[in-house]
Amino acid sequence: MSNYVFDLERSARGLRLNRFLHGFTRKEMRELFKRDPDAAMKDLTPEERDMVRRLDWKAMQDYGASFFCLEKFARIKGVSNPEMVSAFRGETLEAFLKTRRVPGAR
Amino acid sequence: MARVIGGIGTSHVPTIAMAYDKGKQNDPDWTPLFRGYEPVAKWLAEKKPDVLFFCFNDHATTFFFDHYPTFALGVGEEYRIADEGLGERPIPRLKGHAALARHIAHSLVADEFDLSLFQDLPLDHGLHSPLTMMWPSKPDWPGAVIPLVVNVLQHPLPTPRRCYRLGQAIRRAVLSYPQDLKVAMVGTGGLSHQMIGERAGYNNEEWDREFLELIDRDPERLAAMSIEDFMRLGGNEGAEVIMWLIMRGALDERAKKRHQNYYLPMTTAMAVALFE
Repeated sequence: MSNYVFDLERSARGLRLNRFLHGFTRKEMRELFKRDPDAAMKDLTPEERDMVRRLDWKAMQDYGASFFCLEKFARIKGVSNPEMVSAFRGETLEAFLKTRRVPGAR
Repeated sequence: MARVIGGIGTSHVPTIAMAYDKGKQNDPDWTPLFRGYEPVAKWLAEKKPDVLFFCFNDHATTFFFDHYPTFALGVGEEYRIADEGLGERPIPRLKGHAALARHIAHSLVADEFDLSLFQDLPLDHGLHSPLTMMWPSKPDWPGAVIPLVVNVLQHPLPTPRRCYRLGQAIRRAVLSYPQDLKVAMVGTGGLSHQMIGERAGYNNEEWDREFLELIDRDPERLAAMSIEDFMRLGGNEGAEVIMWLIMRGALDERAKKRHQNYYLPMTTAMAVALFE
């Protein structure tokens, strides 16, 4: 079984980052992030800001980000779920799609 | 007296809504999915249920981890469509059935299911990604929904047994409502998929096929399994199929599966099944 279980410990560790990511469900936050990313990230630690700036999906996941909060951020960045999944697997999107039955269905 | 006329099990993958909104009905990559919903849409159009009772999960959209409820029942008259990052989907607001939902809330609490209750909150794709595959949204929805939001995101999750028993309690609640209403149950989620960790991209078609048999013939056996069993067999996120057990628990004991479709194009196995 996988070690990655989103439990209360992981949720507590990722709460601040998840709250930031969840903010993208609000239009004001999306606009603020586009206009002034530092202001949008004011509650994050330098380490968290760095992961967000680098769009490092795996680092954010390992740190405690919920996949479903990451999804909000991915949508505004135009990143698909298969792209995030391939990042978690440590492979390219192209390599991941080769393992799928219908690579065009995304 | 209100009746439970049947049930539907369905995936709620967001790409289903994306394919629908982009009009991919005739795209060969998507036709196996759309065709699979046609018998379900036809059944709903013929049976005309007044209410769809939807067992689904919020994806950290409306509810956040500062207060994430295990079971939350919607008791409102209307629900907005949630903004999940790209604005609202272009579909009408959902009509609730507050009177029946309030009755169900009373009945479930009296039955020792102490639910969280909500109103005036928006609902995310967990409910309306499958809904648009089965129910017309133009000019408006043909009936009402009652949303039951289940925690399948943050462990500890409710046990499969608890979900099955909750379904049985929902059946008692519906059957004790004095007004003649037709209610169809909808259980959403799955089938096998894992989105996170080193096993991201995991699927298990053999288990999915077995699940689709067991949910029909032997739901007791599924109810006796642990969450860890469901995660091992169907992937971490695939354990959300416990929400099908709520639907199944609310059906007549003689209900049988009338239709099923299975399609595994990308990361999540997409299934739909009809029980009557």
